Formats: sequence, C-alpha cells, structure tokens
Amino acid sequence: MSAPDDHVDLLRALAPQVLGILVRRHGRFDACEDAVQDALLAAAVQWPAEGVPESPRGWLVTVASRRLIDHLRGEQARRRREDTAAARVPADEALAPAPDDEQPPEHDDTLTLLILCCHPALSPASQLALTLRAVGGLTTAQIASAFLVPEATMAQRISRAKQSIRAAGGGFEMPPEPERGERLRVVLHVLYLIFNEGYIASSGPDLQRGELTREAIRLTRAVRALLPDDGEVAGLLALMLLTDARRAARIRADGTLIALADQDRSLWNRAYIEEGTTLITGALAHATHGPYQLQAAIAAVHDEAPSAQDTDWPQILALYELLARVAPNPMVTLNHAVAVAMVHGPRAGLELLATLDADERIADHHRLDAVRAHLLEMAGDHAAAGAGYRAAARRTTSLPEQRYLEARAARLDSGAPPAP
Amino acid sequence: MKYILLIYDNANTRETFLGENGEALMAEIDAIMKELTESGELVGGEALADPSNTRTIRVVDGAPAITDGPFAEAKEHLGGYLIVDCESPERAAEIALRWPSARFSPLEVRPLMDPAGAEM
Repeated sequence: MSAPDDHVDLLRALAPQVLGILVRRHGRFDACEDAVQDALLAAAVQWPAEGVPESPRGWLVTVASRRLIDHLRGEQARRRREDTAAARVPADEALAPAPDDEQPPEHDDTLTLLILCCHPALSPASQLALTLRAVGGLTTAQIASAFLVPEATMAQRISRAKQSIRAAGGGFEMPPEPERGERLRVVLHVLYLIFNEGYIASSGPDLQRGELTREAIRLTRAVRALLPDDGEVAGLLALMLLTDARRAARIRADGTLIALADQDRSLWNRAYIEEGTTLITGALAHATHGPYQLQAAIAAVHDEAPSAQDTDWPQILALYELLARVAPNPMVTLNHAVAVAMVHGPRAGLELLATLDADERIADHHRLDAVRAHLLEMAGDHAAAGAGYRAAARRTTSLPEQRYLEARAARLDSGAPPAP
Repeated sequence: MKYILLIYDNANTRETFLGENGEALMAEIDAIMKELTESGELVGGEALADPSNTRTIRVVDGAPAITDGPFAEAKEHLGGYLIVDCESPERAAEIALRWPSARFSPLEVRPLMDPAGAEM
C-alpha cells in the first residue's frame, strides 16, 4: 500500500479528468462537480484502507456517476411530486464504466475547466475557491481552512459560484478565439492570487494556507503542459518558482519577516531558481514580453545575485521601465522607485514616489509610506523615515508587516546603523 | 479581506426591535443574514446581552479588581458584532448601512488583522 501522500497526489491529478468525463457525458457542471467531490472524499477514505483500485480513474468515474444519478433521480422525484413533466434520467447502463474511463481522456479538460471556474461573472474570491475544488481536487474543508473561514461559509461560496456560472450561461467549452485570450488572462491571475495567498502565509500557524503555493505551482505546470508556447504561462510559472525559491529564508522561526536584502541566500531553493531561470530565459527569447515574464525576469536577477550588494540594479531598473510601460500600476511604480533609488540615489527615487501622492488607488496604502520611509532612511533623514515606518505600521492590516515596520522604526530611534 | 461590524445600541434599541414595530426590523435583519450566508460572506456574528450583565475586570497593582456593570453609563454601548469576508471596504460599508439599527445608532466597520504578510 502506498503512502497517504501518494493517494492525495493521485486524487488531485485525476480530479479534473474525472470531472471532464462526467460533464462531457451528462452536462450539468454544478451537479457533476458535487458528485466528483463526493467520489474524491469516498476515495480518500477507502483507498488508504483497501488499496488503490486497479483503474483509479474508472473507479472515480463509476462512483461519481452513481452519485450524480442518485442526485438527478432525487431531483426528478421532487419535480414529479410537484406535478411537473418527468425529466430524463440516465439509464443504468450509464453506470457501467465506459472503455475510455481506464485511459487518460483524449481531451485534457483542465484548461476548459479552469476557464469555466474563472468565469468573469464570479468575484475573485469565488473564482479561487471553485478553481481549488473543481480543478485542484481540494476538499471544501481544506479550502476553508486555507482562507481562515468556517467550512459552511466556503461551501456557500462554492455553491453560489456554480449557480452564478449557470445563470450567466457559462458552458463547458473553450470560448471562441477573440475571447479566449482574455479568459486565459483571468485564469493566470487567479492562479497567481492562489500562489500569493499561500506564499505570504507559508510559515508558522498558517502552514495549511501555505500549501496553496504548491497547489498553484502544480496547476500552472498543468496549464504550461497544455500551452507550451504561451510566453505568459511560462512567465507566470517562472515567477512562482523564482519567488517560492526564497520561501525558507523570508521568515524567522518567531514569524518575523526578513527583507530580501537581509535573507540568508544559502537557504534559497537552487533547483527552483535554476528551473525558473531556464524557463524565463527561454520565454524572453521570443514573443512579446508580458507582465509575468518581466516580473519573473526581475525575480531572476535578484535570485542570481550572490549577495544583496552584488544585485544588478541597472538591469532591474531597465526591466521595471519596461514593466511600467507594459502594465503601469501604482504597485509597479513603488518597486520602480526603489530600483531608481538603488541606481540613481534615494532622492531620485523619492521624486518618482511623489507622483503617487495624488493617486487615490495607493495614496492611503501602507506600502507607499513604507517605501518612502525606506528611501528617506537611505537618504539619511532618520526622523522622517521613523515617522514614515510608524505611519505604515498603523495602516497595515498584516500582523507580521506591522512587527517588521515597528522594528525598523525602533532601530532608527536607537541610533543603530541603517539597514544595508 | 475580513471586516468586523461593531453594532452599537442606544438605551432604546432593544425596545425598538422587540416592540410593536420590531417585526419589520427583525425581518430586515433576517434577510441580510440570509443574503450573507448564501453569498458565502458571513464568517460569524453574535448579539451581546444587555450591558447590565457586564462585569468589568482590571488588574490594579497586581491584584484583580472586578466590578459589576459597565464602568460608566455610556450613551451608546456595543450590542453585537458581525464578521464578514468580502471583496472591498465599500462592500463592508454597504452591509453596515443596510443594518437596520444604523438608523438609530452607529456601526463601526474595521478590518481584521491578517496573520500573514509579505516581506518588503
């Protein structure tokens, strides 16, 4: 018998395939998705005890089909009681495994499912939850615990998401070409949100939330396998790998954050850095350069520097100039200002930062205060820097960020040497 | 992002909600709770007992000091709370505005701290 982890990996890999088979056969994405979730839960209980069946996919399809048919019969009976026309119920033959249940399906439906789960009618929170359940094969309880909400809340969110897709007429098919690119962009954004949700939590009491990085990387790998020529898919996967590579170095055992410049680089994951760098180098060699590719390239320059002092800031600055042109937004400007400061001095960085003061998307954001404080500290204005860190600490809603910012302010008060 | 809605009552709030015309107000609350439950935004919430049931505790010079009742008669007191998980502060404020007691006494909407964070 294999280890429980093997079961979990196998189940998660099979989840979208089984769901794809069911939806192709019966339609009704919402009911099929519930049935597959039931089958996954049954497998999670039975397989470790009884061993993995000879054809795991066929087993899941059979069990899920049975649940689906029970559900549809129940619905039909209800409708009959309400004296409406009888609906068609699949015949019992539908229960017998079809020959192709044993084989990997001809079409890989993962991308179609992702596009459906990231339907534009849904809020980002619902897109995330539904993607993790329907494509990732996570249970509602796992998703709820990752997002720190009660299971009932998450169950409602998922069920409402499926209703909204149905109401919006979302079908199980690839959208036509002009729309497809835009829909794929939403999918990549949702995968990146899942990654970030896990990355910022990947320590301490939130380890389970941290699992989300692994899941986001796994799903992005699956998308990359289906779209190997898409530069932004490669860019996103590279960005995740090059960011996650620093995970072990970003936080102390007591939960306090360590700035990039102060991290112990020997803790960085070399295998991820190599894989990410190879990916992004290949992607940048052709095609147009989208925002994920440029962010991955920036991460690669950081990751390749043997020490913070050896960072190739002129290269990073050039990449931020490109990024600011391709995808201008205030968060990019913040990081761009840091790169300007590292190349042309803190005053030049502060000048760029001043352009954000009138931008209501970020004027009240703690990161603007924090970055300004950092540049003021570089410029030697410790009083203003300390006040800036304290203002940022009051505004942030993140406990570790608040501790970090208070510590920076306290260090300036005590007259300790400024951070490198 | 999670927000807590701190619902303040005045001296007459409970009478208003439990009195003759309270049924319509309670129905509004039921409708909002149903909507928040179905949308998956409701994380939790409770009503607090009347402030006369309060015990105020302090440690004074290392010794526990417990007094019955709230320390001072306030015009408004905390009557209950809701925790919602929603897309934006605007949405949280919209929920608070629809809470019927907002017509009699204020609600405070405050984000909860997140145990996670990004390095800077």
